Amino acid sequence: MELVAYQPDFLLGLYERMVRIREFEDGIKFLFLEGIMPGTIHQCQGQEATAVGVCAALGSDDFITSTFRGHGHALAKGLSVQELLDELFGAATGCCKGKGGSMHVGNMAKGMVPGIAIVAGGIPVAAGMAMAFKMQHSGRVVACFFGDGAVAEGAFHEGVNMAAIWNLPVLFVCENNLYGASTHVSKVMRDTNIARRVAGYGIRGEQADGNDVLAVYEAARAAVEECRAGRGPAFLELLTYRRTGHSRRDPCHYQPQEERAAWAAKDPIDRFAEILKSQAIADDAALEAIKDRVLRQFNAAVENAKRAPLPTLEDLTTEVFA
Amino acid sequence: MRYEMKMPDLATTESEIRIVRWIIGTGQKIARGQPLLEVETDKATMEVESPVAGILAEVRSEAGDAVSVGQLIAVLEVEQTASAALSGGPAAGPQAEKPAVPPKAVERPVSAAAAAPRGMFARNRAAAVAASAPAPAEGIPLTIAQRVAARRLQESKQTIPHFYLQTSFSAVAMIARRRAAEPVKLAWDAFFVLAVARAIAAFERFRCRFDGERLAPAESDAIGVAVDHQNELFVIPIAAPATKTVEQISAEIRQGAEQLRSGDPQARQIRPTLLTVTNLGVANIEGFIPIINPPEAAVLGVGRVRPAAVAREDGRIEVEQRGTLTLSVDHRIASGRYAAAFLGAIVKELESI
Repeated sequence: MELVAYQPDFLLGLYERMVRIREFEDGIKFLFLEGIMPGTIHQCQGQEATAVGVCAALGSDDFITSTFRGHGHALAKGLSVQELLDELFGAATGCCKGKGGSMHVGNMAKGMVPGIAIVAGGIPVAAGMAMAFKMQHSGRVVACFFGDGAVAEGAFHEGVNMAAIWNLPVLFVCENNLYGASTHVSKVMRDTNIARRVAGYGIRGEQADGNDVLAVYEAARAAVEECRAGRGPAFLELLTYRRTGHSRRDPCHYQPQEERAAWAAKDPIDRFAEILKSQAIADDAALEAIKDRVLRQFNAAVENAKRAPLPTLEDLTTEVFA
Repeated sequence: MRYEMKMPDLATTESEIRIVRWIIGTGQKIARGQPLLEVETDKATMEVESPVAGILAEVRSEAGDAVSVGQLIAVLEVEQTASAALSGGPAAGPQAEKPAVPPKAVERPVSAAAAAPRGMFARNRAAAVAASAPAPAEGIPLTIAQRVAARRLQESKQTIPHFYLQTSFSAVAMIARRRAAEPVKLAWDAFFVLAVARAIAAFERFRCRFDGERLAPAESDAIGVAVDHQNELFVIPIAAPATKTVEQISAEIRQGAEQLRSGDPQARQIRPTLLTVTNLGVANIEGFIPIINPPEAAVLGVGRVRPAAVAREDGRIEVEQRGTLTLSVDHRIASGRYAAAFLGAIVKELESI
């Protein structure tokens, strides 16, 4: 692969963000096992390139909508490890002041609508936001993340169709990780090519290797340009794989060993590291230094989160609508 | 320093969590993230990873124990705190070591309240579990496997329109075949598994499950053998039985029963089968009406083999070793005549085995 078109800092930034997501997810797994962080968690190890590649194609005032599996999206969009961890700990200093928790992380000031845990729930919301952006002539774009399971929901049809008929600046990003909870896509779709089905809405769908961060970035960049030029919406299906159970309570027995091994060989971080090394953008020591820095930031954030203040009784009625 | 391992919040409902087995023995080393023990909830059996690297010093809950979320289950001897272990170096933040708590003198802690985890949601759940757990004096608590079986059987009896066909068969060929195999003692059930497997090849509908608008092909070709292990019901699947000898099937049944006795978690899981055979002949029952193991199309109940008087066509009365069979059938899948032909085919296979 030829990388001359990219600045080294940009490439290393992509790498660092993917590592930040991986280490965050691996780290909170142990916090959950230790019982010092409440609630279950839905993790995205193995899917780092989708979040990082798409968000790298967005501006800071563009928006994303997310799902219950939103830690990666949040870190990719620029939320800090600290505000995310504090939120997971239920602290008042969290990105949603401790009222959202793992399934609802987000920060409107940083362009991320708090995660919508209802499957496909973010799709009509994204269409609505994109309509506002269009009416305001703001030039902003919404990227809407959802999984393969969301495609079977009525909200998918309603949101995608509405965006299509009104040419809304929304980039639909389907992270197809092959499983809706424990159900393989082939059990719920006769044609498992999701990108192809949006032709029925009169828009173009494109598939990309969701474990190749540059492929994701390039596809997203072209799609975002289309949206900004008033030729939205766009639809990307990113082929990827979830390495963990649906949640921490899911032992994931339904993923065949051979399938897991095949996808482990396509790990997005390892692959990108090989590219960076082969192009002499970084050596092992430089990549190790990035990982080390990320780990230190995470560990410091954990210690802060353990001592972060919980919301008080007075906070009960603030930031709520009903 | 000592690290106290508490049961993580792994139950999807307010189910208790049962310890299936310790994968690591006391005194053994364990790496962070390595499976430490296996637990069973009402939804799944799963491995629990160790949050720390160290040596397993004490086990506070044994295999078979039901524990609540947040309960102390083990003590590990670790060199670093959990969070320091993460960076492989000193923690970047201020020192946050949890004070080492001396081990409690009692062998089995812990009221649910005393073991209350820090997490607020987990705490609520632990309280709910404590409130719902029956005191032993008030009845016999059901194990998780028993509750799962209870739910499935009730659903089967309430939603599947069963009908029942009864017949008898000559066990002469079976007994002769069993004698010929000595000194190997063939499991009686092996004959019924093989007979069903051979007969079912010509009865497509019995290889289906009811799926509302159609009969969907069954997931498995395994014939199951129902077993009762300490009042818990399990089914041992025999895969591709039509391709096997009665000796092979017998060995697999005995192996499956042994796995259950040893508490093998794989054997305790519900595994798909095509049709189940259940046998109370060894318990001296002449015949009985079994409940279908959903989503199967039928279940075969086997009564005891014993000498019976048989009237021949020519009027002679003879004594013959005979057994009884009852086929419980899902009427949505098969008609009486269709099922009768299937049961007839099973008898034919048994009598020529």
